[in-house]
Formats: sequence, structure tokens, C-alpha cells
Amino acid sequence: MSSFVQIRDKVRAGEELSFDDGVALYAHPNLMELGALANEVRERLHGDRTYFNRNLHINATNVCEASCRFCSFARLKEGDPAAYTMSHEEAWGRLRARVAAEDPITEIHIVNGLHPGLGFDYYTELLAGLKRIQPGIHLKAFTAVEIFYFAKKFGMSIEAVLQALRAAGLDSLPGGGAEIFAGRVRKKICDDKCTGDEWLQVHRVAHQAGLRSNCTMLYGHIETAEERVDHMLQLRALQAETGGFQTFIPLAFHPDGNALMKLPGPTGVEDLRTYAVARLLLHNIPHLKAYWIMLGIKTAQTALWFGADDLDGTVQEERIYHMAGAATPQVMHPTEIVRLIQNAGRTPVERDTLYNVVAEGPALVSDKPFRRQVRRSLEVVS
Amino acid sequence: MSIEPRALPTAAMAPEAPESIATLDLFALGRRAAAARDERLGPRGSFVRARQLLANGSWRGPRDAAESYLDDADLAAIGGLSAAAAAGVDLLVAGAFSADVQAAAEAGIRVLLRLPYRVGESDGERTSRLTVVGGIGWNVWGVMPAPAGEPYGLDTLRFYALCRLALPKVPHLLADVGALGPRLAQMVFGFGADELYAPIVAERALRLGANAHNPALTRKEAATLIRGAGLVACERFADGTLEEVS
Repeated sequence: MSSFVQIRDKVRAGEELSFDDGVALYAHPNLMELGALANEVRERLHGDRTYFNRNLHINATNVCEASCRFCSFARLKEGDPAAYTMSHEEAWGRLRARVAAEDPITEIHIVNGLHPGLGFDYYTELLAGLKRIQPGIHLKAFTAVEIFYFAKKFGMSIEAVLQALRAAGLDSLPGGGAEIFAGRVRKKICDDKCTGDEWLQVHRVAHQAGLRSNCTMLYGHIETAEERVDHMLQLRALQAETGGFQTFIPLAFHPDGNALMKLPGPTGVEDLRTYAVARLLLHNIPHLKAYWIMLGIKTAQTALWFGADDLDGTVQEERIYHMAGAATPQVMHPTEIVRLIQNAGRTPVERDTLYNVVAEGPALVSDKPFRRQVRRSLEVVS
Repeated sequence: MSIEPRALPTAAMAPEAPESIATLDLFALGRRAAAARDERLGPRGSFVRARQLLANGSWRGPRDAAESYLDDADLAAIGGLSAAAAAGVDLLVAGAFSADVQAAAEAGIRVLLRLPYRVGESDGERTSRLTVVGGIGWNVWGVMPAPAGEPYGLDTLRFYALCRLALPKVPHLLADVGALGPRLAQMVFGFGADELYAPIVAERALRLGANAHNPALTRKEAATLIRGAGLVACERFADGTLEEVS
């Protein structure tokens, strides 16, 4: 097995780490050494800059044919307790509320269940309507799992699905649904949705069509360190082929309210270790996001010293992880994000989805009325 | 396996100079604080099954607890120090210095001192306060950082390390699971903490809804959390001995 010193030398020389190196990093007993090395890479890539954006999450339906054992969000069919499907007007109302509040969001993140009863036009019209309300908004919508499902259900190729969604307003893909690529794990936790290869193929096609996307890994359930490393290396290989991934987002498993609730979920040290290993293995994926909704604000801030350079955004109305027991708030004010980043000794940079700078330095001003307006509008729409 | 606690520190153990600590980066600070903990107590973390004497005179926690503690805010209500000692209290959890707290320490009741900290304070401000704590003339068994408001992660980690380095005469640095949450409570073991402060219960709590922040841990959860931080997990017993949890 590689020694930490050997791995450190490879990292400093800019060499790609191997599978064995990744496994050795997971086993390395000294978290501080691991964190310091990941931080070197993070600072080499981004200095102190730490990104966030102003975004809105819309989870238009939680009705889902798939029965992933780690999921607390999905309901198998319409009419089940807590099942919901938004009408277009309801979904668009989320954005209208933001526009009325003069909230300068730049992105809408849309992820849904695999609803067996909705036509393809539900999704295209959802996007088109949002663009009609705010033409400049970036629509980061539908995981690879959803895209693959659309292709199968509506008898279309992945290329055709993406083309139709782009015509309706799709701008990029989120990274969800990757879970862990290893067949052993997928068979146990999500055997009725697309395979790891199919997930990768959707992103390959999207990248080839000029779309950017993110990628994720759900960790802290039944997977081994070797399976995590294998997952990350498959992402790295696709990135070497297409260059289309912007951000890797390790997603901490939340055990409450799902079929895996007997598992303890990842600990704080495991979170930081996973971030550090990811930063070291994924040298060709530029950004590493500490998704505060899942990690919690304290851990997310700490991760900014263990490889992460992005905190996601204001979010607003996230449902998927809150139904799994996430105890974080559903919205974080930009001023609070800025303060969190500055308190970490980093420099906040507001970005758009494609990492173009929206504001930094003195331009990152406080917009005090925002929080009150968000609360009021959330009350109106919920 | 039973583990003998190490001897109490001697007066020769000097705190690190505040100005030198405050300039360290996060990783150097963590390494120094963890090394100081290991030097003092060995690379282990502990937990204890404790019960609390409440203001109304009743106990909260298991009858066969290894530790019996009282919050200093309840001291007057239960009839003062002698009443507490007579009831079996062997640890006073104090929010501030007071004559009662000093008297407890001098009477042989161990004192666990809560140390408040706020988001945005400088390391310099904190080390100045710690210097005052380090200079008191009676024994403090342990300190427990107490966030005022919602703590940020990095603030917390730095403050833990500062406590370990600036207070070499104080043997124990406790991680309050209720105040920090289990994730951060585990991380502070990398920054000098050596004991969990949490109710140890028989069955795992379901942390949902209003119960989302329940700090109670089972022995297995406590041991797993400590081991995950890279330390040997031990249970502390009434006589102060530690036993490794297998």
C-alpha cells in the first residue's frame, strides 16, 4: 500500500493518484495531515476563494416508481400519504414569489421523483414556463436518473430527450442519482433505477452536446472505502474524456425516515475525510462542493479547509434531505453565507451556475429585507 | 482492559504563549492540541454514564451511574455544597467562577467549568480569557467550551485547541454533544478534547422532528464516535479508571 509521504509527493508533483493511493488515504490515521494536503490542492486551484450562488430548489413531485432504500422523499404513487405533484402554476409560483421579493437568484435547481403518470410535456412546459417568467434564469434540471427514465418511458434516445429539454430551457444537469456505482451496492440500495454505467452515459451524452453538469457520491451507508474510490475514479475517467463536470458533491447519507434507518450515517470525521480524499483524487474536476443542507452548516464550513471551495447556495425550499431528517434550515441568507465563509478565513465569491463571477469584494453587499421577504413568500406558497 | 489514569500535571507544565498559538493555522493547531492531549492522557477518548441532581432534589439518569453531577445554578435550591456532597454529588458543573465553586474544589468535589465563546472573537481575546482561567489558584478538573449562540465549525475547533494548549494544568477537555451536535463533537477530538459530555442511554434515540437534536448516545454510539476520531474508546468509572470498550 502507498505511504502517505509517497502520495504527498505525487500530489505535489501534480501526478494522478491511483486506486491504491485512494484506499490508502481513506485508511490514513492522521486526519490533520490528510486535510492539510487536500487544502494545499484547494488553495493551489482556488486560493482562498469560496463560491456560493443564489438559487431556488423546486422538487415538483415526490411520486417515484423507484424504491431506493436510502430515500425518504419518494412516495410510490399519487394518493399515498405525503405524496404531491405540483401543478405548473404552483411550481412557477415559487419563482414568481422570488421575483416579487426582488431576490436576485441566478439558478433554479429542479430534481423530482420518477412519476409514472406525467407526460413529457409536463417537464418541457415546466421549464418553458420558468423561462417565460425570468428568461435569464439558469435551469439546472433533472438528474441523469430522470433523463434515463424519460428516454426509456417515452421511447426516445438520451440525445433526443436532452435536445427537447434544451429547447424548452434546460441549461445544465445536476449531479444527483449517482449514489455509488458499484453493482453490489446498487443492487442493495437502488436496484430499480439506472445502473452506474447508464448514469455515466447520460452525462457523457450531455457533455458531448455541450451541456455542463455536476457529479455526486452518496456516502456513509453500506459502501466500502474501495467502492467510494472506485466511484470517484470512474467520474475522473469520464472527466478526462469530456471535461464536462464542474463540481463534485459528496452527499452524506441521512438515515432517518427510510429503509436504512438502522445505519448510523457518516460521522463528522468521515465527512471531512471524504472531502479531503475527493479533492486529492479528483484533480481534474475543478470544484468540490460542501452541500450545507446535508452536511450541516458547521461541518460544511469546516470542509472549506478540507478541500471544499463551494458552499452551494441559498437553496430555499429543499425537501429531499429534510424528509430524511436533515436538521438544517431550508434557506440561508446570502449575508449569512458570506459571514460563514469570512469566518473560515476565506474570500466569498458569488457565482452563477457556470462559475462566472456575479459579485465579490465590496459588491457582496447585505440585502437585509431579503430574509423577511423569503420567509413571508414561503408562507404564502406552502 | 483497565487503563490507569496518568498523574496530575506538575506546576512545571507551562501553557503555550498565547501569541504563538494564535498564529498557527488550523492543521498545526489541531496537531499541537492533539499531541498535548496524547502526551497528557494517551491517545484515548472517554465517556461516562452519569446522573444529574436536579434543583428539586430528584436524579436524572441511571441509578448505577459512575458519576453524579450538579449544575451550579441548582446549588442553592438543593441546600448548598454540604447538601450536594451528602447526596453523593462528585462533580460540579459551573458556568462561572464563584466562591461556591472554589469551595467545592477545595472540598474535593471536582469542578467542570463551562467556557463560553462567541462567533467572531479573535484568538487573542480567547487566549486572554483562558490565561485568567489558567491562573486560578484551585484545581479545575475539566473545561467544556460552551458556544453562545450557534457556533461555526472552525471557531469551535480553534477554541478547543486553544483550551488544550493554554490550559495545561486542566486535565480534561469535554465535548458537549448537545451544544455541538455529534459531528462537531467528534471533530473536536482532533483538536484536543478527551471526553464526551452526553447522556449515555440503553437504546438509540430516533432523531426526527422535535427529537432531531437529542444528544443521547448509546455506549456503542459513543465508542464508535470516539474510535472514528482515531482514538481508543474508553468508559470511565466511578473510581476514575478507564476501561477500553471492545
